[in-house]
Amino acid sequence: MAKTEENTTLAPDTTRRRLLQTLVGVAGVATVAAAGPVKKATEATTISLDTIPVDAPVVTSDGKVDPLERMRADLARALQKPVSERRWVMVIDLRKCVGCSACTISCVAENHLPPGVVYRPVVEEEIGTFPNVTKRFLPRPCMQCDNPPCVPVCPVNATWKREDGIVTIDYDKCIGCRYCITACPYNARTFDKGLTYNDDVSETNTIALVGPANAEAYEMAATHEYGENRPRKEGRSPIGNARKCHFCLHRLEKGMLPACTTTCIGRATYFGDANDPDSLVSELIASPNVMRLKEELGTEPKVYYLQ
Amino acid sequence: MNTKTTNWTRLLWLIAGVGFLVGLYGLYDRIVAGHAHAAYGSYVPWGLWVAAYTMLVGVSAGAFATAAVIYVRQRAPWYNVARTALLVALAALAGGMLSVLLDLGHPERFWRLFLSTNFTSIMGLMNWFYTAYGIILIVMLWYAWTNPHHASLRYLSFLAVPFAIMFSGAEGALFGVVGARPLWESGLTPILFLTEAALAGVAAVTVGAFLFDQLDDHKAGVLGRTLIALLAVLALFEWAEYSTGLYAGVPAKVEAMRTILFGPYWWVFWFIHLGLGIVAPLALLALGSINRITASIAGTFVVIAAIASKLNLIIPALAHAEIEGLEHAFTGPGLTFDYFPTLPEWMLFIWIVSLALLIFLGGNIMLPRIQKEVK
Repeated sequence: MAKTEENTTLAPDTTRRRLLQTLVGVAGVATVAAAGPVKKATEATTISLDTIPVDAPVVTSDGKVDPLERMRADLARALQKPVSERRWVMVIDLRKCVGCSACTISCVAENHLPPGVVYRPVVEEEIGTFPNVTKRFLPRPCMQCDNPPCVPVCPVNATWKREDGIVTIDYDKCIGCRYCITACPYNARTFDKGLTYNDDVSETNTIALVGPANAEAYEMAATHEYGENRPRKEGRSPIGNARKCHFCLHRLEKGMLPACTTTCIGRATYFGDANDPDSLVSELIASPNVMRLKEELGTEPKVYYLQ
Repeated sequence: MNTKTTNWTRLLWLIAGVGFLVGLYGLYDRIVAGHAHAAYGSYVPWGLWVAAYTMLVGVSAGAFATAAVIYVRQRAPWYNVARTALLVALAALAGGMLSVLLDLGHPERFWRLFLSTNFTSIMGLMNWFYTAYGIILIVMLWYAWTNPHHASLRYLSFLAVPFAIMFSGAEGALFGVVGARPLWESGLTPILFLTEAALAGVAAVTVGAFLFDQLDDHKAGVLGRTLIALLAVLALFEWAEYSTGLYAGVPAKVEAMRTILFGPYWWVFWFIHLGLGIVAPLALLALGSINRITASIAGTFVVIAAIASKLNLIIPALAHAEIEGLEHAFTGPGLTFDYFPTLPEWMLFIWIVSLALLIFLGGNIMLPRIQKEVK
């Protein structure tokens, strides 16, 4: 980690100039967001990859490159390569994670997850005994295993590992047998039973705040996973399917980092291309304090933890 | 010969009819609400319906093998029992297939199992095994009723015996190959499935033969002794599995075994599986004289308890977080490691079992009519 911080320190004049550029940029985005209608914001998500600053990392007030900006640049670089030459990995620094669950919630919002479906829970672990007690928080996305046990068990070839290493599910092929859920040693796959948050909620409770129609509209809004547009309809996929984290593949393809990475308030989640030796994640996974969950199973997870 | 109606048969018609009608609620709920009212979910993804499927398919394979052995050995006095066995196999297979079909998240896509089979998946392979098995079973059933002395029946039976062994063993392998679940991942799992299938199949054939008045004391003796042998083998295998598992102390496996033995549903193992399914029939058959009544009672006990061993295999293996503390990390329906079937789950289970019984009883009326028409 120390090595990474050293490498990201820039000269003071560069720092001030870039900081100013950043502030101007942020102010500009804020102005556009405040002035434009919602439709404008939607249009902004379809920006060309050319507009992503590949060589202009933003620096923080202490002269270090914001890891988020560096990862964005890493991502833009990776997207210029063929899919087969990318190797997406996630690194989670357990010493930085404060257990705020912002990643969990942003993931739920990003993917319109219904009740009973979660892609990235944060597991709390209490270590030690009183008075020497600490807590450790362990976010658990899909491990996107290099040797995924969920793939060979699928009876209909509805799940597979892409060339870039992300394990995906074809919702239209999945028959909902749930064999893959039993085969995952990380409990990372979940079953969409077709529930909605409004089930069994009286109108006098929370729904009254937004109105039943708005609550219904939110529940039925489309999920954009895998770059598809899937409104929530009874009997239609992804209802009845196995579902899992996919590193926000639909965002990656638009040049955006996964929602959990962007919203991590402690900058504890890192994402990037491990095939790029200059990427931040490549540096991090070379740390001596890196570990992966259940290595003994031979699944070769692509989620690394720093402890 | 098979059409004789006994009071017991009438009683079974009544039970199956009531079960079918009451169970319609479960079918209605499954069609209207999908999986929303089921207790299984993301962390315990399989429940009663998968247990029922494995149990019924096991009964089917065991009964099928029993019939095949009779035809291979050309035991003509047993041919009526063999016909009953094939009918048991058909009814149980239909029930098992229906149970797993309704358990699917998208049953309307079942055809994908044929058109885009993944042959690295045991479940994908099983789909073709079931198809081949169903075809062989129907052909054998046809010959058994129309011309039981036809050479084809014997040749098919030569094929059927190893096929039944492979078939029910592969059913166990479906669980045995899942490395993520230490309770399942064992070379003994397919062997246990094989033994349980043979046991439940012979037991169901014994009860079926009794119901149709085909069971004299000699046949009851042969079937009863077979049950004793299979019960002893099952007890031995279970002892081997539990004693080595607990002694080795691999935490995840021990935890699952402790759940079975001392968890909230401990009585399922001790009273239903061990008591009703092994000790009671073994005591009944080994300590007293074996006759048509004791053999049938013992068979009934084994068949009723057969669901318990499948529930004990499936649920406890899934009822433990693979990452400690996961159950508290994010809560919601289905994000729990507790499982007990809901009312709609029980109702659908009752409907499926009743439907299988009606197929069995109805088949015994329909097939002799077909037989007459052919002759």
